[in-house]
Amino acid sequence: MAAVVGTATLAAGGAGALLAAGEEAAPQPVRAPAIERLPSAPAPALRIGEPVPLGDGRHEVRWTPVRRRVSARARPDPAARAVAELATRTPEGTTNIVLALEHREGADGALWVRARLPVLPNGTTGWIPREALGGYEVVDTRLVVDLEHTVATLMRGGRRVFRAPIGIGTATNPTPRGEFYVRNELRRYASPMYGPLAFGTSARSETLTDWPGGGYVGIHGTDRPDLLPGRVSHGCIRLRNEDILELGRLMPVGTPVTVQ
Amino acid sequence: MTDLRFDLLDADGALGEAVASLHEHSRADFLRTAMVGSGALVALFARPASTEARTRDVEILNFALTLEYLQAAFYTEVERIGSLDGALKRQSRVVGAHERAHVRAFRQALGRSAVARPRFDFRGATESPERFRRTAVAFEDLAVAAYKGQAGRIRSRAYLASALAVHAVEARHAAWIRRLAGVSPVLEAFDEPAGKTEVLRAVRATNFIAKTRSRRSPTYTG
Repeated sequence: MAAVVGTATLAAGGAGALLAAGEEAAPQPVRAPAIERLPSAPAPALRIGEPVPLGDGRHEVRWTPVRRRVSARARPDPAARAVAELATRTPEGTTNIVLALEHREGADGALWVRARLPVLPNGTTGWIPREALGGYEVVDTRLVVDLEHTVATLMRGGRRVFRAPIGIGTATNPTPRGEFYVRNELRRYASPMYGPLAFGTSARSETLTDWPGGGYVGIHGTDRPDLLPGRVSHGCIRLRNEDILELGRLMPVGTPVTVQ
Repeated sequence: MTDLRFDLLDADGALGEAVASLHEHSRADFLRTAMVGSGALVALFARPASTEARTRDVEILNFALTLEYLQAAFYTEVERIGSLDGALKRQSRVVGAHERAHVRAFRQALGRSAVARPRFDFRGATESPERFRRTAVAFEDLAVAAYKGQAGRIRSRAYLASALAVHAVEARHAAWIRRLAGVSPVLEAFDEPAGKTEVLRAVRATNFIAKTRSRRSPTYTG
């Protein structure tokens, strides 16, 4: 850069300022051979492109793993009533996750997160110290289970991407209504009655509370597709095997589930 | 502000190992390659290269991509959560859009060889202005130092030009957030590159793993 400035000064006749008064400088050709020999700048190998703005995020939901055993409380305060005890693992051996709803500084000055919890009564939310949770993952999907019409619809970014007939709970063991979320995904197990794929949800049967594993409601395939659609299950949401496999391709863990 | 330690963000994962495992190297091998061998970057695209050199160069590009993942995830999360206002909010939106553009560019360059995006745990750093400021300063300083650490070893003019282009933007980001954080935008007349330990500690400290799949038989109500 200094060489460039020097050349510019010469070209502008700046050297004349060094001459004594009355002297005339002979015209000098402007020469900057070293500069002329500089090659052009190489083209970058990466095309960085335009900045990438985020979408509006209207349909995004965050989930986070439970990092240590912790009490969820009624308020963001270590002294508040405990509404649930949260383990780090599910009965299926996967990481226990919760759906993050909001965050706030608590009475102790620490960050707390209000989360939807996989406990009875269904729909329970509670405040958890932020440090007991892991990082956030984001999904923009939502599964809507219509009990009246026995059909499940998956939305992504607010648009419908999947729809299938389902089996739901009987009148004796109904599928619970409310807001839930998908908390794990099981494959390659040896239980034909669940079909080839089963999602675990945060919903729990309100009648089969002593069921092994706690009576969680699943979304899974079936070995009795002839019963679908219908009110045929113990509370789980059954799909034909081809439908559950398609849903498995589209629905990530953490997806909110609305049962209505 | 400059003494912010990345291990304060906690460490429950090993991103370096995760990246290294994709290439069947130990993390030490990966680090050595990433921090020492970037001169071979040229060979990947600019001249015929051995398989070994090609593999090594992909790892180096993936190392840069990993840093960009880290930054892009950080700014994306803070924007989604909406915990900032005013100048900090403007800064995070602009810088986040840049970092996502960097990620896209590296992924395009690497194609199917690009490492998958890890999960990052920012330990609440995206959920309050003060926590955000401290971490953003640390991450931007880290990125500037990391690119500088590679620049002298890049032989490909085309890739050196790209690295310098990204490095300059990261330096502007660093100055911007430093000003907003109330610390000097420029500390020294001569800027030092980051050592490998600092770089990997930063990404490793934020990594987390959540196992969401299993082969265990369901016990759902059926």
